Amino acid sequence: MPASSASSAPPHRPEDLILRLSSAADGRDGDAKLRLLRELKNQIIGNRTKKLSYIGLGAVPSVVSILSSASSAAADSDEVESLLVQSAAAIGSFSCGVDAGVKAVLDAGAFPYLLNLVVDAAARSLRMIYQSKLALKYEFLQKKNMEFLLALLNKENENVTGLGASIITHSCETSIEQKALSDAGVLKKLSSLLGGSLSQRDASLESIATIINSNPEVISKFVGPESGRALSIVTELTKDRYPRTRLLACMCLIAIRNTSPSYLEGVGIKTKLILILLELLDDSGQVGDEAAFALCSLIAEKEDLQKLAFEANAVDKLCNHLANGSLHAKRLEGIFLALSSLCSKLECCRSRFLSLKALNLVTDALTHVCIEVRGAACICLKSVSRSVKNLSAGTFMNEIILVPLVQLLCDSPTSLQVAALGAISNIVVDFTVHKSNFIQCGGAKQLVQLSKSMDSTVRLNAVWALRNLMFHVNNRCKEEILSELTASVLASLISDPKPSVQEQALALVRNLVDGPEDFADYVFAEDCLLLHAVGNQLQNTSKADVLLQGMYTLCNVASGNESSKEAVMSQLFCQTSNTQCILVNFLQNSDSRLRTAAVWTVVNLTFPSSPGAFDRAGKLRNAGIATQLKNMVNDSCVDVKLRVKTALGQMMSFGDGST
Amino acid sequence: ATSKKVITREEWEKKLSDVKIRKEDMNKLVMNFLVTEGYVDAAEKFRMESGTEHIDLATITDRMAVKKAVQSGNVEDAIEKVNDLNPEILDTNPQLFFHLQQQRLIELIRNGKVEEALEFAQEELAPRGEENQSFLEELERTVALLAFEDVTNCPVGELLDISQRLKTASEVNAAILTSQSHEKDPKLPSLLKMLIWAQNQLDEKAAFPRISNLSTAALEDPPV
Repeated sequence: MPASSASSAPPHRPEDLILRLSSAADGRDGDAKLRLLRELKNQIIGNRTKKLSYIGLGAVPSVVSILSSASSAAADSDEVESLLVQSAAAIGSFSCGVDAGVKAVLDAGAFPYLLNLVVDAAARSLRMIYQSKLALKYEFLQKKNMEFLLALLNKENENVTGLGASIITHSCETSIEQKALSDAGVLKKLSSLLGGSLSQRDASLESIATIINSNPEVISKFVGPESGRALSIVTELTKDRYPRTRLLACMCLIAIRNTSPSYLEGVGIKTKLILILLELLDDSGQVGDEAAFALCSLIAEKEDLQKLAFEANAVDKLCNHLANGSLHAKRLEGIFLALSSLCSKLECCRSRFLSLKALNLVTDALTHVCIEVRGAACICLKSVSRSVKNLSAGTFMNEIILVPLVQLLCDSPTSLQVAALGAISNIVVDFTVHKSNFIQCGGAKQLVQLSKSMDSTVRLNAVWALRNLMFHVNNRCKEEILSELTASVLASLISDPKPSVQEQALALVRNLVDGPEDFADYVFAEDCLLLHAVGNQLQNTSKADVLLQGMYTLCNVASGNESSKEAVMSQLFCQTSNTQCILVNFLQNSDSRLRTAAVWTVVNLTFPSSPGAFDRAGKLRNAGIATQLKNMVNDSCVDVKLRVKTALGQMMSFGDGST
Repeated sequence: ATSKKVITREEWEKKLSDVKIRKEDMNKLVMNFLVTEGYVDAAEKFRMESGTEHIDLATITDRMAVKKAVQSGNVEDAIEKVNDLNPEILDTNPQLFFHLQQQRLIELIRNGKVEEALEFAQEELAPRGEENQSFLEELERTVALLAFEDVTNCPVGELLDISQRLKTASEVNAAILTSQSHEKDPKLPSLLKMLIWAQNQLDEKAAFPRISNLSTAALEDPPV
């Protein structure tokens, strides 16, 4: 078969090629080395599968060995130069987008040779390496390294400047490093590269975003007068013709806005950013994926931006992308997270979302094969289920949603469990009678299981969900939940090491005893186990939120029958006579919520129609409660003022006990 | 009939002659066209005659060699040349790489090398489909060629057309241009499009001498 050029010779089988390469690497035949290197290079470029297979066959050490011997060659011939270029190119290709390749290259010791050889081909390869997380961290704070970096950035060659930028994007992490880079003039240099070629612009934008991230001091320097028109150049680039440039410019602006919003305050720029990002979502590649995450970052926690996004039809656009189907995992994750930010505070967004029938798409994603998508779907569901209107309508309390959610509670990584718990916590606030659906799906059982988790975040979220489940639920459900949970577990949760867990556990009990009397009795079971736990916690904690829930629990119990009221009294008065009654502490507290709770308790304890009210009023008076209340008739909080009036009225009706 | 303003040939030609265009600008447009489309010799000759500068011809020459190789069906050769020019191009353009491999398969089938084609499809194309699901549909179409006795008359026979080669060649050309930070489209066609668009816009408001034949640029009298 006639060959038009030497390269048309039939290719070696992989194992063959590696053998020949490895023996050539040890020899002196430059020609053979070049031939084999080129063959290898041409086989692996663009071909991920081949790269992995050659890495497995041990190709990389041979290539690196050729690179190293060429680097230390005495003479600088054409052949040496070709060997350097070809071996560097092969190394670069192995490192391109393949972590195993980067690892093999680094393990084979290629890095120092490449770094010393910063010619075009090597710079390219190094850039590939620095795009992977596996590359070693570059120590900016060492003077020589900073100088080297600046030298790279000052070169004409765009691969070399690109390398400098990549190093920064990869390794700059702390605010000290950011400041050092800014002080050394790197930021200024990068800003000037914004006027360069396409790849220089993109690389610079990425590095700039890394240096300014979350650093107000560096940002103020960046937008300041000495930086020239850096900020306006970046703003201009958000309208560039290349989508990736637009995205990277937006990400820079978002980084500035999230840390120092005053520089980008106008409605105009806010709307523009939103519109550009929404338009970038149409890109089917990586740019589109990242646009979704960038949008999420821009609007997260900021109601004004969420409103602007809503007015720009963001909900519709995002849901349309979802509906178009066959999206890969990264894109799905981004869109769900963006939707969750969008719906986190505004009811109009949630309504729109639900009216577009997007709930089905989220529910489907709860069983997606990819963990991150499942997690993002949960987070989205959590935001959407903040809609009181829909909770009242029972929109979420059906098997289609509940079953996969409960499933996520078993056997998932912690992060996924927490995300699912977040959604569940909202959904079980449901005001309809459908809470039993949740219990029937095995939800309560799972929640109880997770409330015993070693991980405090999981525990907290599980107890929170149980608390919400217990809210205004019917007696049968209360029984079912309690039989799963048991009083002893609940008691230990009340005295959990974490105050946040204590708070939720107490709130759970509060919800438990809220309502008909039978359940108030539950706190007396097992020798008043729960009542004592509540009482103890009240004495031992100083956290306002915990105190609040504890007091309201006692308050709810005190709204019951005679024995309930007496039991509460014994909890309140069980400490030694030296210390002040805990009620007085509450009444004197600066937090109006605690004062309100205490006064309500007094109201319940002194309720006139109960037989023992007279005696209780007396006891309270002796503890100084009446005097305290008299000081509060003009309390600054209206709620307190009104209840004080009632409480005093009730106590006075038994006579004021004065002689 | 709406009252459109009528502009006579005389009036129009007078307006046209009042518009000044610099020779240098026209030369640059021509050079831009020659360079982007890859007419190296013409570009060099034009430079000598008009004094218009252009980018380094060596890079055009390299690019043209790649394009030519694809157009002649020497895809393997083209791939090697691209990798010599810039190894990143194929590493960062999975779709382009797939299309080049696809073209290789087509050439093997065209030359009747069925067994080699099968092996190639299995070794080289199938992994592309695994690496990236979006290629599967095209992959199936291409492999379907192997199922037919009379390839030129089968449903996917158009893959064997020369136009498929040209399509691939164009794709490679654009990728190289982009990697060199050049515009991948010449400006001349855009200008002509703008001319036609402007004429259409004006047509709604006035009757005027149009250019309908772009190659002669002859003015046609307005309808009275």
